[in-house]
Parts: sequence; structure tokens; C-alpha cells
Amino acid sequence: MSGWTVAGLESQVDGFRLGPIDLELSPGHAVAVLGSSGAGKTTLLRTLAGFIPARSGRIARDGVDLTDRPPEERRLGYVPQGLGLFPHRTVERNVTYPLELRGVTDALDRTRPLLERFRLTSVARRYPARLSGGELERTAIARALAAEPELILWDEPWQALDVDARFELGRVFEELRETAAVPVVVVTHDPALAFSVADSFLVLHGGKVGLRGDATTLLAHPSDAFTARFVGFDNVYDRETLDAGPPGSFTAWLRDRAGPEGVAFARPLLPSYGAPSGSWEGVVGSARPTPEGLALTVHVDALAVGLRMAPPVPVPLPSVRSRVRFDVEEMNLRPLGRPFAAPGAPP
Amino acid sequence: MSIPPEPPRRRWRTGPYWLALQLVLSGSLLLLFLLPIYALFTYAPPQLIWADAGNPAVRAALWLTFFASGLAVLAAVVFAIPLGYLLARRSFRGRAVVESLVALPVVVPHLLVGVGLFFLLIPGSPLYRFTTALGFPVYDTIWGVVLVMVFVSAPYTVLAADLSFRAVDGRVLEAARSLGAGPATVFLTITFPLAMRGIVAGLLLTWARAVSEIGGILILAYTVYPGGPYNGPVTSTLSVLVYNLFQAGDLADAAAVSSVFLLIAFVLFFLVRLGERSGWVPWRRGELLP
Repeated sequence: MSGWTVAGLESQVDGFRLGPIDLELSPGHAVAVLGSSGAGKTTLLRTLAGFIPARSGRIARDGVDLTDRPPEERRLGYVPQGLGLFPHRTVERNVTYPLELRGVTDALDRTRPLLERFRLTSVARRYPARLSGGELERTAIARALAAEPELILWDEPWQALDVDARFELGRVFEELRETAAVPVVVVTHDPALAFSVADSFLVLHGGKVGLRGDATTLLAHPSDAFTARFVGFDNVYDRETLDAGPPGSFTAWLRDRAGPEGVAFARPLLPSYGAPSGSWEGVVGSARPTPEGLALTVHVDALAVGLRMAPPVPVPLPSVRSRVRFDVEEMNLRPLGRPFAAPGAPP
Repeated sequence: MSIPPEPPRRRWRTGPYWLALQLVLSGSLLLLFLLPIYALFTYAPPQLIWADAGNPAVRAALWLTFFASGLAVLAAVVFAIPLGYLLARRSFRGRAVVESLVALPVVVPHLLVGVGLFFLLIPGSPLYRFTTALGFPVYDTIWGVVLVMVFVSAPYTVLAADLSFRAVDGRVLEAARSLGAGPATVFLTITFPLAMRGIVAGLLLTWARAVSEIGGILILAYTVYPGGPYNGPVTSTLSVLVYNLFQAGDLADAAAVSSVFLLIAFVLFFLVRLGERSGWVPWRRGELLP
């Protein structure tokens, strides 16, 4: 069991400054690091791993300062982008590598359960070049676990995986959290999987912490456009767009309720198609059936607004350019631009 | 899970003219390679080739040539691979200068190389006295031959090592570090095995270039006297021997000795190719080191 404390961590790569970052990582706890490209996600991971020197701050495991220790002394399971598998070693020899480093003689026997657990036994003698995307991922995580790490760092695990492999990896991840009593830090672009595996979230913005908290916090207070879109708000408008709305319009109504950086809201529910009630009127731009009903895009003023209808999907689909009336409940609006710290969240 | 068989590759239907053009162009080049060799082999009767192959003077020259080129390859392993690694992994000021310097021996006529080394190491010069004191007199010794060979051939290994080390994915190395391997272990278990194939190819080129060198040797070690690791009779490298025979008008022997050399070189390269095909060479499997 090991807990990690990251306090005031700062680093710099080619003029990009990261931090200060504070993190409390307890065993079995998974943190998803989110953020747009260039927000510093990978930089954070590589600083935690020790590949980028910390300019200030502290990384400690169970009270032992590791800030200036080289990567090989931090006991990590680091899975870099692209996985970093050894192309000249077979699957089993990839997985035994950390054991060989420690001079373990029966490394192959010792790693057999790991291969079994990640369903790699049948491909154990293959080279990475001959594996499928899912097999590559499982090899990488099996190898990371073979090192008996005290912290798992995983960069973009779902990159370039097909739908099935993603689903499978989500299961591997859940299993990992249940069995490995170590913290996990995962960098990702994928909302669905982030929500399914992470206990808390860290949203980075230009190298700084923009937002943190659990899923509920993020949904209640997305605080910025990136987070709002990430957690699934389909309607996100920035201040500039809202300011362009004429008085009395839907846009102006939204503007009055928006934060400094704009506003976000989920698709409002349309009770029935062609209902005469509703404060606002829009023109249907497109209609797309989904498992949750019909997803509509409606043009109001200069905005494209997403709406939805509960199943069953009406046949025929609403025709493009027909008019609908709808309401947006004020309580569902999320003003953007006010960083929010949930009560009880780590500082 | 089994890998499904690859579907038959679709082939473009090409016209007979296109095929003919390809055959004529590549065939011309192959002819250019082949005809001089044919001329050599047919000029001297087989008996003479056989006799010359057993001639002590030819044998001494052959031995010297292969031994010296072997030492040149060894020097490339020791000095050129580290330089290649440095160029691949570090950025420093004056890097472009170093890169140009490495490419220089490839473009400079080798006679000039010999002249340059001659002025540097002319008997009586400080460097001559220094190297002699160290036990490496270079003027008309095997060390001179090796020195010229290293000068003209080591760049191939430097360039190959640079490219090969560069091609190793840095994230793979970082993964190894995080798994508990120190920098030296990462180099021995990951970086070098991954780069080895390219480096060995570079060493092969280095050897080929070294063994075929004549220009610089003509100046610095025209005649090779016994000394150092070479304790045979007074001799010269094979290329110098052929040159001498040719100059003396002994065309048949020049052709015969050349043929002997060609045969050996051809057999050697053929064996290397065969080895690559059959997979016994370590860099095919990629795992030489534990």
C-alpha cells in the first residue's frame, strides 16, 4: 500500500511551464488528467515519472521524498504514449524485463499468471509487430504490473484502438483498480472511458490546474468550455458568440445567464414534435436517431442548438427546415469561467 | 488467435514495353558490374589464378589486407559507434561542423588523404616521434595501412550508428527506465540491440571500403615492413601489389591476383547474405545480449 503526495510541483519543457500541481494519490484511486492538446498532460506524467526535472515542489511516496530520484528508482508502471513495447522482445520477454533487471532467474514462471490474467498466453512468443491493438495494450499493462509498481502512469491508453478493444480495455482497467492496490494516473481524451475508470479528475489548462474534483463536481460546475464539452454538454457557447445576439433573442437570454467565458447546457428535452408551447423557436438543421432517442440540431439566431426527443424515434424523421418550439430550464444552465473547488476537495 | 493468410496481392497489369524498359535499364548496370570481372577472369588462365593463389607473396599481401581491414573494423567499433551515439542522442554547439567533418573522408580523394597523413606523420615530425614512441610507427608499417583505412572507412559506421540510434523510439527507452533499468542497462538491453542491425550493416560497408582502399596507402604505406602485429615478409596490400604488377607490365599476373581477391570478396559477401536469409545472424532476431 502506498500513497503519493505531490505538492507545488512545477517543471518546464522548451518554454512550456507546468504547475504548480498538487495531488493526493491514495491506493486504488484513479485520477484522470484531462485537457486539450498542449495543456501539459503528458508533461505532468513525465515529470511525475522523473523524465523532466522538477523546478520546484515535491513528489513523495509514503513520506519519502522522490523529487530528485531518477525514474528507475521511483517504482513506476509507466505506459507512455505508443506503449513503448520492446520490438526486439517477445510478449513474454517484454513482461519479464523488469524481473530480469532484478536478477530473478525464474522470471518466465513468475510472470505466467500475469500473462494468463491479461489473456496473453497464446501470443506469448510473438513479437509486438504481430499483435493486435488490444493485445499490445494488455502486454504494456502486464509489463508495467510485472515491475510491481507503486504508481501506474498511463498516457493516452485508448489512442488508436477500435471500439471493441476500447471496451475490453475499460474492463482491464477496472480489474486493475480492483486488484492492484496502487494509485493510477491516466491521461486521456476519451470522456466515456475516463468516467468509467476515474475516481477524480484533474483538468489542465495551459499547464495549470483549471478544475478538479469527481464526476459530480465536473457535471455541476464544468467551469470552462473544454471541460463542459468533455463531460458531455452538447451546447457550449463562448462569450463572444453570445454577445452578438440582438436584444430579446434566445442568444441574449443566454447571455444574461452566462458566466465570463460563456454558458453550457445539456440537450433540452423536446416533449413532442410540433408542440405549440415553448419560449423559443428554431429551424431544424438535422435529426439523428440515437439509442437515447432523437438528437436534433436546431438553428436559433446564429446558434446551433442541440435538442433531444425521448424514444421512440418518430417515423418519418422531422424534416429539415421545419420549425420547433422549445424551452431551456434555467436550472440546467452552467455558467462558464468561474473556477470552482468543490467543498472537501483537496486544495 | 491465428493470423489469417494474407490475400493475394493484386498486381498491376503492365505492358511488355514497360517490362522491357526495366530489364534494359537495370540489365545495363548489372552488365557494367559484370563485364570487367568477366574480363579479369578470362584474361588470366585458371591455372595461373590457382598458382597465384598459392604464391607466398600473394598470400602475404592477402593476409595483410584482410588483417589490416579487420583492425580497421575493430577501430570503427571502438571509436565510430560512440561518435554515432553522440550525434544521435546529444545536441550541442558546433554539431553541424562535426557532421561535416564526418562526411569529409567520403568526398575527399583518397590520394589527398594519404598526402595529408604523410605531412602529418613524416619521419622526424613530432607526431611521428610520438606514435613511434607509443609503439605505433605508421610510415610503411601495418599501422599506416590501418590508419588510412580507418580514415576513409570509419565514416560509414559513424553514419550508420547515428541513423540507427536515432531510429530507436525514445519512448521505448523511457519505458525501460521506468521499469527499473539504469541508463547503462537501457543501452545494453534495449538501445544497442535495436540499433545493432543498422550498425552491423555500417560495419560491413566500413570493411568493404577499407579492404578496397589504395589511394592513401600508396602514399603512406606503399611497402609494408614487418612490425607490430604483422610479422610476415616485406609486402604491400593486395591493391598495391596488383598496381605494381600492372605497372611492371605483368598483366596476366595482375589479372590473376585480382581474380583471387574478387573470388574471396564475393564468397564473403555471399555468405553474409546467406546468413541474413537463414536467420542465424544475431541481429535478425534482434537479441544478442541477455
